[in-house]
Amino acid sequence: MKPAPFDYCRPSTVAEALEALGSSESSRVLAGGQSLIPAMNFRLTDVSVLVDIHRVEGLDAVACDPEGVTVGAAATQSRVLDDDGAAGVVPGLRAALRHVGHLQIRNRGTVCGSLAHADPAAELPALAVASDAVIAVSGPGGEHRIDAADFFIGPFWTALEDGELITGVRFPAPPPGSMTIVDEISRRAGDFAVAGLVATVETEGGAVRAARLVGFGLGGVPTRLEAAEAAIGGWAGDHPADTLAEAVMADTGDAFDDIHATSWYRREAVAALTVRAARTALEAGEAA
Amino acid sequence: MTLSEPISEVGVEVSINGRRHRHRVPSRLLLSDYIRDTVGLTGTHVGCEHGYCGACTVIVDGDAVRSCLMLAVQANGAEVRTVEGLAPAGSDSLSPMQQAFHDNHALQCGFCTAGFLMTLESVDPGDWNEPERVVELLSGNLCRCTGYQNIVAAVSEAWSAYHGDGGSGDG
Repeated sequence: MKPAPFDYCRPSTVAEALEALGSSESSRVLAGGQSLIPAMNFRLTDVSVLVDIHRVEGLDAVACDPEGVTVGAAATQSRVLDDDGAAGVVPGLRAALRHVGHLQIRNRGTVCGSLAHADPAAELPALAVASDAVIAVSGPGGEHRIDAADFFIGPFWTALEDGELITGVRFPAPPPGSMTIVDEISRRAGDFAVAGLVATVETEGGAVRAARLVGFGLGGVPTRLEAAEAAIGGWAGDHPADTLAEAVMADTGDAFDDIHATSWYRREAVAALTVRAARTALEAGEAA
Repeated sequence: MTLSEPISEVGVEVSINGRRHRHRVPSRLLLSDYIRDTVGLTGTHVGCEHGYCGACTVIVDGDAVRSCLMLAVQANGAEVRTVEGLAPAGSDSLSPMQQAFHDNHALQCGFCTAGFLMTLESVDPGDWNEPERVVELLSGNLCRCTGYQNIVAAVSEAWSAYHGDGGSGDG
């Protein structure tokens, strides 16, 4: 239950961090460490060089403008959760972060670290996919950007190559007048979700105009619910819930079974969350 | 302080409850083990060592954190507070929250208590002034004895001034 020995460094620039990452095949980036350190305590991951990016210049910034929010790699989840400017431009950030871990975890854990960790049951990867976030990466070959839709490849597996470092993520603002809902079923507040949903819903005249729907905890990566997105256009609160729920069931045929829930349960849960999100958005639309 | 070359042993300087400590420690040493074994403050308890139970919660630069999910070297230069720093120095009295735990039988075996107390100490009660939010705040600390009712009652008593129930409160 203690990490195996490793070498530690705390670079002050991205260039130094990349050099340290390149110094060993089993080097790892330490951001908040809230997933990496437990994995090291359990010796589930082999780390010879740990590169702490906490003091890399400029990486802890959170920058908001009317078109979106850019979160640096060292910015903690608490810092973003408490940022009223960020919540104003991308409300999904606050909605998602409220579900992430507990206070003590969010005080250390980072937004970009959650993306790099790519837990299939985590909220932030689903939010990134739902909001067309773009991940900024630096590596030996220079800098490049990866769309969230292309970033998540499998459980705990991303498009990041060895020796690369996420430097930040850009969350574009959702469509004006839309509402972002992050809802999930979990055993205890703050635990990983058994299944969950990120929904950005636009309403017009008492009906849903369009929605972006992404499930999590269903498969290896965030699951875009395309049939449900097609079915939800024009849906109003007095329409039968079945049509929407059936579309979600069609989208989630690959949902997995484990000791916490069956595949069927996860699909039903996300279907119910989808109907609930549509109703919540419609009610909010009427009240506005 | 930059440390650009990877090394297996690091110098650490931290303030714990206002007292400065300097040690040379293995890079892999967890903050929880540093506090308990190197510094000798054993009020911080180590339960699960993977961030689930919250028993090892301490305050680092004002924020409640899991000390088992932090390396000692990450606390370099930080101000750390542990349960030993809660009661007024040099007196036999407890902090108001500790006293409320005592009065409400909010602990039985006591293993989790330091973690609860440090989580509570880290926040501004005014930001957590609804009883349901207290439950949310405490969701990151596990207690296997009390069933939580008495813990919530203790918090309610200590923070009664913030909870708008007319109590005078001492928090």
